[in-house]
Amino acid sequence: MLFRRHAAENELHDELRFHLEQQVAKYVKSGMTEAEAVRRARLEFGGLDQVKDECREARGIGFVETLVQDLRYTTRTLLHAPAFTSCAVLTLALGIGANTAIFSVVNSVLLNPLPYPNPQELLAARQNESRPNLKDMQRLTSSFASSGGVNITPMDFTGKGEPVRIHAAYIDAGLLATLGVQPISGRWISADEDVKGGPRNVLVSYPFWRDFLGSDPHVLGKSIRLSGNSYAVIGVMPSSFTLPKEPADIFVSLWAAYPEAAPEREVHFMHTYWRLRPGVTLSQAQAEIAQVDRRLAEQFPDGERDRRTMLVPLHDWLVGNIRPALLVLFGSVGLVLLIACANFAMLLMARSVARQRELMIRASLGAKNSRLIRQRLTESTLLALLGGAAGLMVAKLGTTFLLALKPAALRRFAAIHMDVRVFLFVFAVSLVTGLLFGLLPAWSASRGDIAEALRENARATGSGTSRSRLRSFLVTAEIALALILLAGAGLLIKGFLRLRSVNPGFNPANVMTMYLQLPKTRYPEIPSETNFRRELLARVNALPGVEAAMVSDLPLAGNYVGHRVVIDGRPTPAVGTEPLVQTLSVMGDYLSVMQIPIRAGRDFQPTDREGEPLVAIVNEAFVRQYLADQNPIGSRIDWIRRDEPNKWMTIIGVVADVKHSGLNQPVDPAVYAPFSQNDEAWRRFMTLVIKTEGPVAGLAEDVKKQVWSLDSQIPVSDVQSMDDLMAVSVAQERFNMLLLGIFAMLALTLAGVGIYGMIAYRVNQRTHDIGVYIALGAQHRDVLRLIMKDGIKLTLLGIVLGLAGAVALTRLMASLLFEVKPTDPATLIGVAFVLAAAALLACYIPARRALSIQPIIALRCE
Amino acid sequence: MPSGSIELPQGTLDLLILRTLSLEPLHGWGVSERIQQISSDVLRVQQGSLYPALHRLERRGWIKAKWGASENNRRAKYYELTRTGRRQLEIEREAWEKLAAVVSQILETA
Repeated sequence: MLFRRHAAENELHDELRFHLEQQVAKYVKSGMTEAEAVRRARLEFGGLDQVKDECREARGIGFVETLVQDLRYTTRTLLHAPAFTSCAVLTLALGIGANTAIFSVVNSVLLNPLPYPNPQELLAARQNESRPNLKDMQRLTSSFASSGGVNITPMDFTGKGEPVRIHAAYIDAGLLATLGVQPISGRWISADEDVKGGPRNVLVSYPFWRDFLGSDPHVLGKSIRLSGNSYAVIGVMPSSFTLPKEPADIFVSLWAAYPEAAPEREVHFMHTYWRLRPGVTLSQAQAEIAQVDRRLAEQFPDGERDRRTMLVPLHDWLVGNIRPALLVLFGSVGLVLLIACANFAMLLMARSVARQRELMIRASLGAKNSRLIRQRLTESTLLALLGGAAGLMVAKLGTTFLLALKPAALRRFAAIHMDVRVFLFVFAVSLVTGLLFGLLPAWSASRGDIAEALRENARATGSGTSRSRLRSFLVTAEIALALILLAGAGLLIKGFLRLRSVNPGFNPANVMTMYLQLPKTRYPEIPSETNFRRELLARVNALPGVEAAMVSDLPLAGNYVGHRVVIDGRPTPAVGTEPLVQTLSVMGDYLSVMQIPIRAGRDFQPTDREGEPLVAIVNEAFVRQYLADQNPIGSRIDWIRRDEPNKWMTIIGVVADVKHSGLNQPVDPAVYAPFSQNDEAWRRFMTLVIKTEGPVAGLAEDVKKQVWSLDSQIPVSDVQSMDDLMAVSVAQERFNMLLLGIFAMLALTLAGVGIYGMIAYRVNQRTHDIGVYIALGAQHRDVLRLIMKDGIKLTLLGIVLGLAGAVALTRLMASLLFEVKPTDPATLIGVAFVLAAAALLACYIPARRALSIQPIIALRCE
Repeated sequence: MPSGSIELPQGTLDLLILRTLSLEPLHGWGVSERIQQISSDVLRVQQGSLYPALHRLERRGWIKAKWGASENNRRAKYYELTRTGRRQLEIEREAWEKLAAVVSQILETA
């Protein structure tokens, strides 16, 4: 292409030269001298270069060549205005990048389909269910193609080396058919295997097969040891398969792994999933289930009286509680994008006015309108492209950053990556903005009166009053939007701080925990469990500087066991309405290790043990709800027993409430009982709670050694400090706060840049006026006032509008706020001040430059 | 420029070039000389307008160019009319004649 152009250039030159020579020859022949002839011919011909130009123009150079030319020119001009270029690119990069990152997250989480065939047919039951109930429900309904249930329980896998705790899914065989994902090798657990005494078969997940079985291609039929028993591997699930809610490493039949629980109607511990038959609607299915609920309630009044199964679409069930947060983010993203585009637009407009003279001159020299417009478009497009490229980098970084701090709720969605469609959308928005705002001034510039524009420069702040009105509108809008975002962030911060400051009811400092589970094969009866616990505590407490105890469930760890109680001396309540309380077993000085205050009575003593009178401690919530009118100490309670006489426990103490389910959750009535007086052998798990004066290096290892010195086959897991658990429990709120905070900062920065730009531009345009003003004796104060006046006015207007908007919009995020009103005045006023201060600064910096304007130079300048 | 010569509007130049080239292929200088000749020296084409016009016509496909040897054995770019060019010549000639007729009519009756 270039080669051809070179040749064409030569040809043109030759052609014109030929003409000249012929003309010269003609004149010479008519009698002129050579020199005279040459002069004459040249004169007649006109400017050689101009003719060449016109010829080239007439030929119409190829489109690509024009483009290359424009690009080169544009690049040069952009490089000559580094402030403008970097501002524009930065604005776009932030707007595009941040938005892409968040859109990607929202997209992946809210909009991506679940990894099951026909996921829209899948429902989940809100309530947990027991296996016998599930079987009855399956038998008595016809709305469902299939259904199944699952419970996740830790099991120990003993391969080579130490036993490892893994997550086992105890399933009802229907679950796999319901979810509908075929294994990549082998088969599902079938319904005939899922019965009492059925074979111990196991289906493994892909990561388990890869990490623990070495991706063995011949794994089918081999057996693995789980919690002391052998299971035969019958299949491997694909890598894309996950259970809806929790991660699971292996899948076993409930009958095979936990036969005691399978026939228990009252053990409601399975999540159930249901697949609608084609043509059946959710409401039809719900109605049928309600009927079944009624039948079961009649048949089994003891345990099933209050049943009310609610079926919800699976997708809603999974994302339901993070949807509000994500929608808030969605809204913020839109706002930031608006601000970024407004900034970009203002930058383009300011630039166009600054170049107006140049454009006028070029137009007067014969540049065609279309060419000028095309050049403006090239500039906006180039900027948009650069901004887009930078935005891509920001988006990648942003997505990585978000994934790093994502809370547990998002952990399931491991496949969050930067979404290309999202990037293209946001990029398109910026491109359109660029084209639009690059084009508008180009139009008016090309039509303008050339003479007029050449005469005066920019009393042209006056000209384009429409333009400066647009600019004012944009700045005001940016400030209002920034205020809304700041308000949201401020509220979340306040809510988060409130949450963090909630008294959890215990002292988490320097408390380390670890979870142990005793295998049934070696600890079949309670006495063996009690001996183990007692001996272990003795050994751990013997470590220097350590105070240790045990509890069945840690607060904030997500585990909760409930039981119905009966209170001695009270009229027996109707079956199924007895008080339901949380039950906790302890051994050792648990209350003093966790520093849970005793409000009345006493703590457990070592004498409160097996063979001794049964005792219990309750919390204040229990007293408030059930013993408000009598002295709790000395009252007797017991668990609801079906066919046995009561074994009354005497309440010996009342302790303060502990926020077990979460800092922002209410406290349930709770009963503490000693492990050693426990009469249910299935409670073979416990959590060691170890307190030290300060952090002790290697503490976890020392404790583990003590455990294994007693029994080398006990897996120890979930080693974590209470401080970490506290942090994790507020992770969702922290995530929300950080995210919105980032957006608010972005908005603030962009709005600040917008104001700065506007004022700087004003100073530039009105240098002449300012010079006159100073020459006439204005003080610094007066000059500042003159320049900042508009900026301040717009800021105030923006803040007022923003406050109105904030009051209207923040109620949408009320569900995310902990104990903070959406219209909390202190927060709103606070962020208004922050914004005002930032805006003031953004006005002041360029205004200061005006102070150093030399009147003489300014007056001379135009 | 000698008095009595007329300035040539752009559209008309195209027409004259097409006409001139319809008789025989010529190079640019040749076209200019021929027009001057035929119009008995009344019309003198501005070289500054001639060549852009030639290139424009070439781009539009009404004339095509070929390098050849001139009368005095120099390398010159010769233009000749294409078939579409011939058709365009007819169209423009008709339009011109219609215009001329109408203008004369107005001048006579007004």
